[in-house]
Amino acid sequence: MSNNDHTKDFVGGGVSRRTFLKGCALAAATLGLSPDVVPKMVEAAMSPKRPPVVWLHFQECTGCSESLLRSARPDIATLILDLISLDYHETLMAAAGKQAEENLRNAIKKNTGKFICVVEGGIPTKDGGIYCKIGGRTALDIVTEVAPRAKMVIAIGTCAAFGGVQAAKPNPTGAVGVQDIVKGQTIINIPGCPPNPENFLATVVQILTYGRPPELDELGRPKFAYGRKIHDHCERRPHFDEGRFVECFGDPGHKKGYCLYKVGCKGPVTYSNCSVERFCNVGAWPVGAGHGCIGCTEPGFWDTMMPIYKHLPGIYIPLGGGIREQAEKIGEVAVGGAAAVIAAHAAVGVGKKIFSSVKGSSQKKDDEK
Amino acid sequence: MIRKEPRLYYRVFVWSGTLRLFHWTLAFSTFILVLTGIYIHYPPITTKWAEFKPQYIMATLRYWHFCAGYFFICALLVRFYLFFAGNQYERPTDFLPINKRNLQSLVHNIKFYLYLTDEHECRMGHTILAGTIYFILFICGVIMGLTGLYLLYPETPMVARMGHDLFGTPQQARLIHYLLNWFFIFFIMVHLYIAIWNDFKAPDAIISGAFSGSKMMPADLECPIEELEKIPFEK
Repeated sequence: MSNNDHTKDFVGGGVSRRTFLKGCALAAATLGLSPDVVPKMVEAAMSPKRPPVVWLHFQECTGCSESLLRSARPDIATLILDLISLDYHETLMAAAGKQAEENLRNAIKKNTGKFICVVEGGIPTKDGGIYCKIGGRTALDIVTEVAPRAKMVIAIGTCAAFGGVQAAKPNPTGAVGVQDIVKGQTIINIPGCPPNPENFLATVVQILTYGRPPELDELGRPKFAYGRKIHDHCERRPHFDEGRFVECFGDPGHKKGYCLYKVGCKGPVTYSNCSVERFCNVGAWPVGAGHGCIGCTEPGFWDTMMPIYKHLPGIYIPLGGGIREQAEKIGEVAVGGAAAVIAAHAAVGVGKKIFSSVKGSSQKKDDEK
Repeated sequence: MIRKEPRLYYRVFVWSGTLRLFHWTLAFSTFILVLTGIYIHYPPITTKWAEFKPQYIMATLRYWHFCAGYFFICALLVRFYLFFAGNQYERPTDFLPINKRNLQSLVHNIKFYLYLTDEHECRMGHTILAGTIYFILFICGVIMGLTGLYLLYPETPMVARMGHDLFGTPQQARLIHYLLNWFFIFFIMVHLYIAIWNDFKAPDAIISGAFSGSKMMPADLECPIEELEKIPFEK
């Protein structure tokens, strides 16, 4: 344990200084920064002026919060709770009912333009947003009130970023992500179902250290975490290049750790650092465990990445009441149909020729007579 | 209908060397793209679990796919240039159904292909039906090129922005890229069949024209003489 009273004070005795420094170094590594910034990060993280955070829950399963609480390298839950001043979090706070709502109001009033607003869950917009209400107010109301007053918004999870599962077709509640509602505000999307908590932590530390968000891609995702395809850093990639594929789960190829491309792995079209960062402090991740990537960090993945065990989504054909066909079927129909039409066309041509030549010769005979 | 025989034909030069270069570059690159593309989409197992020898087959075929893709894009650029700078038969105004004459010709074309008439319309350039389909193919080719570039360079900021604005996520681009592939296969089948069929039915000799750039045109009334006279004869 360190003798630094401030550190001890600050981390509440739950985390050793060593663990704390390791956490900061890890955050720096995740961000792709040099070790030189670690002292700066430590300083920022230990500053008594902890940025207030308001954490809003809407249409979600709380999986993102759960995943964050279970992060363990090093005990990121503790680190997060001490790094920031979590003023409002429906799952974690002690307050309830009127008191809780009071907390939210106070936090916003006191820290306008200073607090970080973390949004977890999609926001329904249909019928005035009545499909998600907290304390009698719609999610739409709450987010339009809170988000513009924040310093910046972090949309954690695919639901808050892009609408998520409730925005899947036919999207009965008209659910959307924060970026579709709140305009003119810095919004950082950390999608995933759930996202890797280390990406969230690294983003927070970046904001604390530099006061600005990390570099973002077109979809508002931090590039340090979502800048590369899973496929490009996948441990099974050599098998892909070699043409060695799992044909079905449990076959010899699967046992040998071949590429999961043919059983529907969406790694080639999914941006995330899962293959590098891994999960749960044990180096585990879906593809490593033998299951293909389902593409959960991409917008609309419930529509575009399904079925999970196929490359490409089914195509909606608006005939006969609507059929959802496999994309492969389209090809069969196109080629089969073309071949059939060609054969029929050629047969008609040949038939006509035979017919006219028979007719012609009989006419000739008639003429001779 | 009895055809006037014997008929006098002129060999007239229609397709410039640049257009033929475009045609064959597109043809060969499409052929390679379709074959390697099908492998990339659905790679058949070639190892039999034994890993008998290293083959690097997916990487190699992907490499061929990308190389052929560049030839394909170059061919499209050449065709785009010819839309404006080509001879009169290579410009869209000649082969798209945008005026009365071309519309009439289109109706006649369709009748001819449906065996409703035996009267072959001798046209210097593309028939209107063919021209329209080629134009659609060109548009599809552009979409193929753009989705292909998006899938190949999804991390290049400019390409990523273009792809994201036009097609959405790479998965959506991949679906478009895959579906249009079937249009190309469909087109190759129909195109080859129609070319051969026309060689039987019509006197223009369009298959050899794809190499030589010339067409056989009858010298009598059925072809537009005023156009024919403007054309320099080859031999």
